[in-house]
Amino acid sequence: MTHVSLQDLTKVYPGAASPALDRLSLEIASGDLVAILGPSGCGKTTAMKMVAGLLSPSAGNILFDGRSVLKDKPNERGSVMVFQNHLLFPYMTVAANVGFGLKMRGVDPVQIAQRVDRMLEQVRLPGLGGRKPSELSGGQQQRVALARALIVQPKVLLLDEPLSNLDAHLRLEMRDLIRTLQQEMSITTIFVTHDQEEAVILADKVALILDGEMRQYDKADMFYRRPADGAVARFFGGRNFIPGTSDGASFEGPFGSVKLPPDAMAGRGELTFRPENVVLGGCGPNQLACLVAQKTFLGTQTRLILNTGGTSIEMTGNPAQFDGVRVGDHITISLPPDTLWMLTA
Amino acid sequence: MSDRTKIILLLLPALSVIGLLFFGGLAIGLMRSFNYMPVIGLTEPNLAAYVAIFSDREFYLSFALTFHIAFTSTVISCVLAVGAALLLRRAFIGRVIINFLFQLNLTVPHLVGAIGILYLFSQSGSFARLAAEWELIARPAEFPALVYDPYAIGIILQYVWKEVPFIGVIILANMQTIGEDYESVARSLGASKWQSFRHVLLPLIAPGLSSASVIVFAFTFGAYEIPALLGANYPAALPVLAYRSYTDVDLASRPEAMAIAILIALLSAAMLCAYIRLSRRGMGR
Repeated sequence: MTHVSLQDLTKVYPGAASPALDRLSLEIASGDLVAILGPSGCGKTTAMKMVAGLLSPSAGNILFDGRSVLKDKPNERGSVMVFQNHLLFPYMTVAANVGFGLKMRGVDPVQIAQRVDRMLEQVRLPGLGGRKPSELSGGQQQRVALARALIVQPKVLLLDEPLSNLDAHLRLEMRDLIRTLQQEMSITTIFVTHDQEEAVILADKVALILDGEMRQYDKADMFYRRPADGAVARFFGGRNFIPGTSDGASFEGPFGSVKLPPDAMAGRGELTFRPENVVLGGCGPNQLACLVAQKTFLGTQTRLILNTGGTSIEMTGNPAQFDGVRVGDHITISLPPDTLWMLTA
Repeated sequence: MSDRTKIILLLLPALSVIGLLFFGGLAIGLMRSFNYMPVIGLTEPNLAAYVAIFSDREFYLSFALTFHIAFTSTVISCVLAVGAALLLRRAFIGRVIINFLFQLNLTVPHLVGAIGILYLFSQSGSFARLAAEWELIARPAEFPALVYDPYAIGIILQYVWKEVPFIGVIILANMQTIGEDYESVARSLGASKWQSFRHVLLPLIAPGLSSASVIVFAFTFGAYEIPALLGANYPAALPVLAYRSYTDVDLASRPEAMAIAILIALLSAAMLCAYIRLSRRGMGR
């Protein structure tokens, strides 16, 4: 159980015009699983490598339990990184791969063999110790990589896009396995991903990095309910951004006045709400009359594009809910105040 | 016409040349080594040439010297080449120039290198004269015998000078393909720099290193010109011994020359097999 503190962590690569990572600060509680989320090239793997000691930061500090680890070599930090493409040593058996970290620590071979067997059972690969990595599927290889990291009981586990090379059903399986093992072993874990769904499902907290800069660090639901800015809201699938003015209690915009939640910001800005939170029918406050401009079946959902007050609103819902709705219909929707959020312009 | 026939027909010219020159030459050499040379009246094949060389002490001394030259040159070249590749794969100012200089002597022929070694390291060479000039030794002749010496130091120096960049270029390309992520994994799992080199990088480059060193070993074991130019008269390296017998005024010595040549081929093949097996076992551990 290790508390991890990243303080203004910055990395500027030689010759680069702008930093790959700009003043990242995170406090990660002992035993938490935190996702660093962002698009490719935003600096999240750079952050991970700096925590692992594989890259030196240009500025800032990294503390484990209040102690700076910047001067510690990678093999002395107690953090273990699992890479995106598994990187199992191809010339070693699965057992030798899993036991590698223990061997480097000089653990007795008999003890290594016992611990490797136990670890392989934990990652649901019993009896596969004698195989070579090339004889395993992608999902099995990823589980071996995870076992190889967990067997050394790291202070901090660093997972770099561990699910990105797996197909859909293996991702679900692996996701559950990571969460289960992480909670069983109470290892502070930092998990890098570009997939917001993965971040939200797996992580206790999510740090969103855009353009090398952290935009929001919060519990997962807050990115949907209270995004820090328009970019964060858009990254998390926000579709409705209505310009207007707020007095803190209500919003004046193109379709008139709507009631806001109590903690809404006052001033000029954008009203945002998620498509799935728009309610079909006239019940409750903030009712709006709309014209159905588009209806699209998306498989598990149906999307409507609605026109009201000269602006467009997008709503989504269960397809059955929209059975009677056709393009050109006039319908009433309502916007529950607690699902609305004001963003600065 | 089937694809297989087409391929065979297309390869036929090249295969004919190889067949005639290589296997033809080998067959003639083999026949002569069995004392079969009708032009000089030897028409009864026998093992006399082999018996003669196996009962000659000089053959064993020559074999030991040749093995020493090939093995020592290969090992030293491999160690230095891996070290150079480790340095050259890093990013540093002037790397392109250093890399160019490192590979420069790949273009220099072995013979030119041998003459360079003579000029620099012989007892009448530049270093001997400089040492005398700086009064490190009384006269150039006191300079240690590094050329024509019984330990073949001059020969080994020449081979190392020439083969380090050859192996280095192969290993460097190998390392660049592998990247540094495997070592990062090892470091992250608790391996020290040396452990990550020993247990991760070395096994990963082992196939390339084995291939390169096998080529160097085979070449240095069978090469004639450098031991002839820089080696001592006695014992001489096996190829020099074979050449001397072959060019002997007595044509009856030719079966012995051919027997030595055949043995060089067989011994180098056997040693290469053993070397590959050992290096794979050692590095893969």
